[in-house]
Amino acid sequence: MQAKALLICLSVWALAVPASQPVLAASAGEEAGLRLLTESEYRNSIRDIFGADILVQGRFDPARRAGGLLAASSTVLSVTPAGLESFSKMADSIAAQVVDQKHREKLIGCAPKEANTADDTCAGAFLDRYGRLLFRRPLTTDELKSRVKLAGDLAKSGHDFYVGLSDGLATLLYSPDFLFRHEIAVPAAGGKAYTLDSYSRAARLSFMLWDTTPDADLLKAAESGRLNTAAGIAEQVDRLMSSPRLETGMRAFFADMLQLDTFGNTTKDSIIYPKYNAQIAAAAQEETLRTVMDLGLKSNDDIRNLMTTQKTYINRVLASIYDVPFDFHGEWMPHQFPEAAGRSGLVTQVSTLSMFSHPGRSSPTERGVAIMDIFLCEPTPLPPANVDFSIVNNTNGPLKTVRERLLAHATTPTCASCHNHSDPIGLTLEHFDSTGAHRLYENGALIDVSGTIQGKTFMGGQGLGRYLHDNPKFPACLARKLYSYGVGANSEDVNPSVYKTAYKAFVDGGYRLRTLLKAMVTSPNYFDAAPPSAADTKTAMNTAK
Amino acid sequence: MVLDRRLLLRGAFQGSAVAMALPLLDCFLDGNGQAFADTGKRIPTRFGTYFWGCGLTKELFVPKTMGANYETTQQLGSLEPYKKKISVFSGLRAIVDDNPNFQHWTGLAAITTGISPTKSGEFDSQTIDQTIADTIGHGTRFKSIEATCAGNKNESYSSLGGANTNPPEVSPLGLYTRLFGPGFQDPSKGDWKPDPQVLVHQSMLSVVADDRKRLMYNLSASDKARMDQYFTSVRELEQSMEAALKRPDVIAKVEIPAAPGEMPVSKSVPELQKVVPLMARLIALALATNQTHVFNIALAEPGSTIFMPGDSKPFHQQTHEEPIDPVLGYQPISANFSTHSMKFFATLIKELEDIKEGDGTLLDHSLVLAYTDTSFAKLHALDGIPILLAGSANGRIKTGYHIAGEGSPVSRVGLTVQQAMGLPIDGWGKGSMATKKAFTEILA
Repeated sequence: MQAKALLICLSVWALAVPASQPVLAASAGEEAGLRLLTESEYRNSIRDIFGADILVQGRFDPARRAGGLLAASSTVLSVTPAGLESFSKMADSIAAQVVDQKHREKLIGCAPKEANTADDTCAGAFLDRYGRLLFRRPLTTDELKSRVKLAGDLAKSGHDFYVGLSDGLATLLYSPDFLFRHEIAVPAAGGKAYTLDSYSRAARLSFMLWDTTPDADLLKAAESGRLNTAAGIAEQVDRLMSSPRLETGMRAFFADMLQLDTFGNTTKDSIIYPKYNAQIAAAAQEETLRTVMDLGLKSNDDIRNLMTTQKTYINRVLASIYDVPFDFHGEWMPHQFPEAAGRSGLVTQVSTLSMFSHPGRSSPTERGVAIMDIFLCEPTPLPPANVDFSIVNNTNGPLKTVRERLLAHATTPTCASCHNHSDPIGLTLEHFDSTGAHRLYENGALIDVSGTIQGKTFMGGQGLGRYLHDNPKFPACLARKLYSYGVGANSEDVNPSVYKTAYKAFVDGGYRLRTLLKAMVTSPNYFDAAPPSAADTKTAMNTAK
Repeated sequence: MVLDRRLLLRGAFQGSAVAMALPLLDCFLDGNGQAFADTGKRIPTRFGTYFWGCGLTKELFVPKTMGANYETTQQLGSLEPYKKKISVFSGLRAIVDDNPNFQHWTGLAAITTGISPTKSGEFDSQTIDQTIADTIGHGTRFKSIEATCAGNKNESYSSLGGANTNPPEVSPLGLYTRLFGPGFQDPSKGDWKPDPQVLVHQSMLSVVADDRKRLMYNLSASDKARMDQYFTSVRELEQSMEAALKRPDVIAKVEIPAAPGEMPVSKSVPELQKVVPLMARLIALALATNQTHVFNIALAEPGSTIFMPGDSKPFHQQTHEEPIDPVLGYQPISANFSTHSMKFFATLIKELEDIKEGDGTLLDHSLVLAYTDTSFAKLHALDGIPILLAGSANGRIKTGYHIAGEGSPVSRVGLTVQQAMGLPIDGWGKGSMATKKAFTEILA
């Protein structure tokens, strides 16, 4: 049936309309946002559309963190020449795998009449089907027509149907319609405001909750218009959130929020820290994500306990840093730190401690700055350009520990305004060295790990964890980042009133991640779009409220 | 039937053979060594940049004497063998006007764009290497090649403007694979032939390019600029494919070595000492085989955190925390890192100088701009900034001078460089760094 309709289409195209007329966007709406796929969104999309055994090998342009999130750069960055070169190579390789002997039967879904020449019917059906999955909407007639023609031409000249088909598919894979998510705004019911169309909604839900492209069910709900209704959204959110794949989505969010990509640039001096290596860096990220997933999704616990929990997961290499015996059954095992270990949730895990340190020593300032930015949404302004730091360094002088040296430096008023914020936080973590291992002395002097912030005095990592746990800015910051991540905004520009209902549900429900997430993505505000006239201030789409 | 460029290309290729469209070039040079005997073309002029972070130690860097035959200083010592081919600028300024001094960014952006940046980490225009590449970068497989030595994929300071930077290769193996891996054919070998896949790729790209009109429709200004950048990338890829159909001119006799192995890449100085020479060699070979005419190589990031194993403080930390030695009058440990940064630059220069082309060397046919992000890193100072120029750009620039900038904006060097590279401009930069004054005394 479908093939027949396609044949008719093809014969109409054969009458050849010159291809130069401007063609309007696929959806009759205004473009409200253009979001470059992140590396993991790209990889997951390919995996879910073609299967996990299709290899994606290539380099992605680096993302840049804004407002604490790499996701924010998806609305700012484009594709560089070297980036496109890489995307086109990846596209060729993916497409060639899809049509190879091993996969063609399963993935193509039809066979050409003759393998050594064009077959527009089979190619058309194939490109139409995968085009819809890749572009997250149906292809327009012209988009399909140009690909079928290309596949046919190249099949004929190369005397191979599959080569032509592979080339046709590759053009979909590096097209801006795949590499960018186009968010299309349509007038909302009632007139003045704008909202996302149903396909853009499907994508926003899917990338937020599963970190991947919409599946068949979501696309169907978009096609039928069901996603334009609250009930339709609720249905899909329930389905997406009850799937184990929610973990993929939340891992992607927390990896971004906790800035775990910092490990990509973290080196340790092997003379000072011989234990540290790439395996530890990888394991530390996994430890942190396991902790968050276990507490936030599996136990559905109060998310603030991420700051105080003494439960974690360790593997063999982490056991060596934490200096605990490792039971050799299986790769990972749950571990409960004793009180005396001084550990307290994410802030005392190897990840946070080692990412925000120098190669050869801890950095209370870097740790303090990172913790304030990541967990409290309080970025630290750049230090003044003209500062004399000599005193911080002189370890041969009378000031033995970094605390004494930093405090001396922070008596300068211009420095004090920031250091008084960041240093007390960082200094409480001084019982942990640059790799996260426990210690009590620095240069022979006992380390003082007391801290006072805004009149509250606390002691060590556990005191810090408790302080953050009780600080209402932590759950507020989590909600702000989650919303910004979902809509691709700079978290510093987001007005919290946009997600206030979700935030209230989060607080009232005892700070459960699932509650926050569900309330946020089912809120009608979540799909608000800037009116087209204001589209230029789009990074602050949220401020349209 | 509408005639189709894709099929025409295809047809020509399928038909009467490659040689028709692509005569093999004989590559013997003419008598005076400046041009190819059969084409009369001059040896191409190449352009490159070398970036190092955290500036200089004035006391050990700036030559005491001016003009030609300047006195070599300690930090320039490693460049002594090439002194006649290198000019040193001292005492330049980056002027911020109404913008803040974004530490370790303003100086870098000022030198590469002539504009005081309005945001840290972003460029307010495309960078100088890309402007030059617009003129000399086409007709080669790569419009430009970016590499960084310390392994961080964010360390590229070549940009088409904004937050996007041209991503760098981050390891010798990565750089080798990009340049000499699949898709590379040695132009000096007799069996060079155009890759039929190039024609296929051209027809594929033109399908994507045909969507441009639809995709540019209905976008906000900022997103239009981003979509436009995508299609600029499409055009560049098309141009590089067109170049790939022609055998590159062979100027130098070089052997492409086997691929380097995987190796540790980090900011540790001993590891850099292994990585930088390999990267430099590959860059030189890319130029010599005409894979590209433009390169950008960074040692590490602005605010360089290169470090010595066993010493807990990296370069950047040292610049701020190390006391000035009261006897020496400078920071000895920080100074040592600056000296290393110059040694790494000398490694690059050596590789360019070692390749003979015509009657000179690859270095003679290149112009390399070596720059940094600040002068005295301890204070993030923007006055007293140094810049080095190496190579004579095929005789377009005189070398071997020490020129005191006397507070001139850094953009004067950028303007001089672009004029030497043959760009038809008479001014460059914005605000207080807008200048029409090139250092004409060194323009040949």
